[in-house]
This record gives sequence, C-alpha cells and structure tokens, in this order.
Amino acid sequence: MSIGVQLVANGIVAGSAYSLLGISFGLIYSTARFFHFAYGGIYTAAAYAAYLTFVVLHLPFGLSLALAVTCAACLGVLCQTMVYQPLRRRGSGPASLLVASLGLFVVMQSVVSLGFGDATRVLRSGGLGSVAVFGALITPIQIAVIVTNLVMCAVVWLAVQFTRIGRATRAVADDVELSRIAGVNVERVIVIVFAVGSALAAVAAILASLDTDMRPTMGFEALLMGVVAAVIGGTGSIPGAFVGGMFLGLAQQIGVWRLPTAWQDAIAFCLLILCLIFRPQGVFGLPLRRTRI
Amino acid sequence: MDYVLHILVMMLIYSILSVSLDLAVGHTGLVSLAHASFYGVGAYASAILCGLMGFSFWVGISAGIVVAALMSVGLSIMSLRLSEDYFAIGTFSFGLVVSSVLTNWLSVTRGPFGIPGVPPPIIFGWTVRSQVGYLVAGATVLAMAVIVVRHFSSHQFGRVIHCIREDEVLAQSFGKNTLSFKVTVFALGACFAAVAGSLYAHYISFVDPTSFSINESILILSIVIVGGPASRFGPIIGAILLVGVPEVLRFAGLPFSVAADLRQILYGGVLVGIVLFRPQGIAGNYEFRR
Repeated sequence: MSIGVQLVANGIVAGSAYSLLGISFGLIYSTARFFHFAYGGIYTAAAYAAYLTFVVLHLPFGLSLALAVTCAACLGVLCQTMVYQPLRRRGSGPASLLVASLGLFVVMQSVVSLGFGDATRVLRSGGLGSVAVFGALITPIQIAVIVTNLVMCAVVWLAVQFTRIGRATRAVADDVELSRIAGVNVERVIVIVFAVGSALAAVAAILASLDTDMRPTMGFEALLMGVVAAVIGGTGSIPGAFVGGMFLGLAQQIGVWRLPTAWQDAIAFCLLILCLIFRPQGVFGLPLRRTRI
Repeated sequence: MDYVLHILVMMLIYSILSVSLDLAVGHTGLVSLAHASFYGVGAYASAILCGLMGFSFWVGISAGIVVAALMSVGLSIMSLRLSEDYFAIGTFSFGLVVSSVLTNWLSVTRGPFGIPGVPPPIIFGWTVRSQVGYLVAGATVLAMAVIVVRHFSSHQFGRVIHCIREDEVLAQSFGKNTLSFKVTVFALGACFAAVAGSLYAHYISFVDPTSFSINESILILSIVIVGGPASRFGPIIGAILLVGVPEVLRFAGLPFSVAADLRQILYGGVLVGIVLFRPQGIAGNYEFRR
C-alpha cells in the first residue's frame, strides 16, 4: 500500500514538471508550427546559467534565478530571429525548421558541456529532510516543485485565455493568414511566445536541478518529456498538455512498480507512439489538418 | 596508414547509410530520425548470431535485413496518419525505443556492456581480415546502394515518389497508393542500413548501444542534408566531409572530451548553416524546403 502511495506521490512530482514542459513546448509548437528541439538546449543553458551565477559567483538566489530566466528568454528570441524567422520567410516547411533546430540543440548542449564538463553538478547544498504526506515521503523542494509548476501552468492558461497577447497567440495558432488580415503582428506574437516559452523552460530547469542534479544532457530528457506531454494532451491545448504531463508522470512511476527503472523512457515513447497511431491529435486536440490544397 | 584506411572504411559505412536514407529524405520528402535503429538492428543481428551463437556471416546479415525490413514496414504504416514533422517525431520516438531496448534488454543484447568478439566474415570462402578487404566489401555495398537508389528514384517509381514529395494529394489523385510507395522506400533504406550495420559489427568486432543512439540518427540525417538531398553524389560527399573533417581535430592535441564537444558543435553549426544558407546542400540542386 505505502509503495503505491509513494509511487503516486513521485508520479505527481514528475508529472507536474512534465506538465510545465508540455505546456511551454506546446505553446511554442502551436504558434510557430514546428518542433522546436532547441528547447532542450535552452533548458540546459538555463540550469547552468543558474549554476554559474548562484554557485560559482555566489549571487543571491533570487537574482541568479532572474538572470537564468532572462538568459533563456534571450536564447529563445535569438533562435527565432536569427534562424527560424529567415527560414520561414524563405518558405521553408516544418521539417527544415525541425532540422535547423536539431542543429541548434546539438550546438547549445555541446557548448554547455565544453564550458562546464560532463560531470554532475548540484545547485543546492546539503541534504533536505523529508516530510510524510498521506504516508508518502516528499522533500520540501518537491512540494515547492509541485506548487510552482501548478501555479505556472495556471498563470499561463489564464494569460492565454484572457489577455490581449494571449488572444493574439491563439489567433496565430489557429490561422496565421487570418490573424495577419485582422491586424495581428504575427512575427511579434511568435517572438513573444518564444521568449515566454523559453522562460518557462528555465523555471522548469531550475526546479528540476534543485530537486535532483544537473548534467549537460538534462535538456534532452526534458525536451522528450515536453514533446510527449504536449502530443499526448493535444498540441495547442493547455489543459491537454497539463493532463498529458500528469498522465505521463504517473504512468512512468507506476510502471516502475513492475519494470526496472531503466525502462521509464521506453514507457514514455511507447505512449507517444501509441498516441500517434491511434489519436495523433492528442486527447484534447482538434483533428490535425493533414493537407492543404 | 592503418588510420587512413580506418577513416576510409568509416566513410564508406556512413556513405551507405546516407545514400540509403536519401531515398526517403531527399526523394520522398520523409524526414526520418530512425535510420540508426536499422543500422543497429543489422549490427546486433550479426553480433548475436555470428559472435555469440556461431552462425555464418550470411545468416547474420540476412537476419538483420529481414528484421530491419519488418520494423521499417511497421514504422511506415504508422506514417499513414501522420504528415511531415509529425512523421519525424514518430520516427524519433521509434529510434529512442530501439536504443532503449538495446541498452536495457540485458539477456539478449548484454546492454551497455556490448557484445565483443564478432568474428571476421567468410564471404565465398574468402575470410575478410584486412582493412583493404573491408574497403572492397564496403565499396561493393555502396555501389549496390547507389544503383538501387538511382533505379528507384528514376523511371516511373521515381516520378511517383518525387510527386509524393512535392504534393502527396496530387499523387493520390492520380490513383497512386502513396502508402505502398512510402513503405517500399522505407524498407529499401532499412535493408541497406542493416547491411551497413552488419559490416560495422564485423569490422569493429564489437557493438554497444552508444553507436546506434539517436545522436547517430541525427548525424546520418545531417550528412544527407549537408551533402545535398536527392542529388547524385551529395550524400557521399556529406559522409566524406562529416566523417573526415572532425578527424582533423584529433591532431590538434585536444583532450578527448573537448574534442568530442567541438566535433558536436561543428556538426550542429554546419547543419544550421546549410539549412539557412544553402538548402540544396553542398553538392545538390534540389532545395530541401519541406
């Protein structure tokens, strides 16, 4: 019994992180209409920016958090303005954009690994006691992870639903041409979405590195979970990505009950493949537009 | 001299991989990130059957081809409902599942320990031991791959897959069963990747999962994009460049990990640069704009 409760608790911790990844990745995907793999590189860069400012330069935590988030947002905007925007202006499709973003991802991850080495780094110092919640052991950091992620998800959803720029984002996600006709500055909306999505990635990265530790390859894992959460839930749907992330976290942790931990990734990708076969639009998504004539 | 020959053999193996992937990527417009999986299946089939169980070279290579072809058929049937970038994501997750299986299915693949001691192949009574032997074998397979890709990208079949690349609905409206064309293209590519894997396993005489990870798929795709998709010699030129140029870093006297990172930065940077400034690749004339 207590194993079950512990697994569910672990699942919720993992799931809330995946939800935030899924929402920020899905936000970028639904507006920019391609798989932004460099998201993973930005995630890693943000975690190491926090490490550099907080552990190496001994800045106050709040300041280093702000610097890391800004750094991530700038990287996101740079990717969009330097690479994706020229490509799209030339008429490149989603597959070329995906290939370019793969290249950006590889460069970012290797630059981090070149600068900081491949060894594992820790952001917090010292261990933390854990508290029992309904018979499951959770560290205070994990509670902070759950709360921050949930708050972030709610804030993004409210912003997209009720603010002016949020409405513009949904308009661009729905139909680029129509929103341009209606006077929406599409390029500006996409740049803002890249900045916000990357800033959210930074928050997720810092929470994850507080909870466990950091390696240059951490971004890849985060990217994958973000992709899986967003696709399962239905890209373009924020509640969908939230549910997708939670479901993924719980499925992985409960799968560990029967399978060795090493199979966690395989569980995630099998879920993704099943979803692509049987319901490519995701649980909450609208049917995919397959072709346009 | 051994070193130069080794680089040449690796260039040949990567040329086989990129030429066979180009049929899907360049000619049919299907961006696949699963090519290293088929390569890995071929390598592991040879390593398990020839190295651990003592079967002959032909058993290993045929098993690899059959398994890779079956897997590719399964994968391409999945593409029935997916288009463009979703297809890339599907192949990407497939590649990750395969590399996860290679790493974690300890009882069959021995996981991260890998399988050592793959014996040299005996082809028509001739035991391939020297690097020159592998050069000849690799060049033969590459020639076959080039001929097969040339055959399937010209004539009627080639016109249909080029039409699928430009406008799949148009191809369907001519009454073409586009799915069966895609399945064929994919299976052909997978077979040659499996042969390349088998050659690799015998040549290095050791296989482990890191050689067939998703990074390897990204590298093979980069070779095609950088060299020039759907061009005559593009994929081969890409393989020569992306396998050869990073070797220069080896002589710069850098520590191993620094050299490895620089190599990755080079790959990634070249890939972005090519997509941005020369979408037809170094030697191509077809602009890849999917």
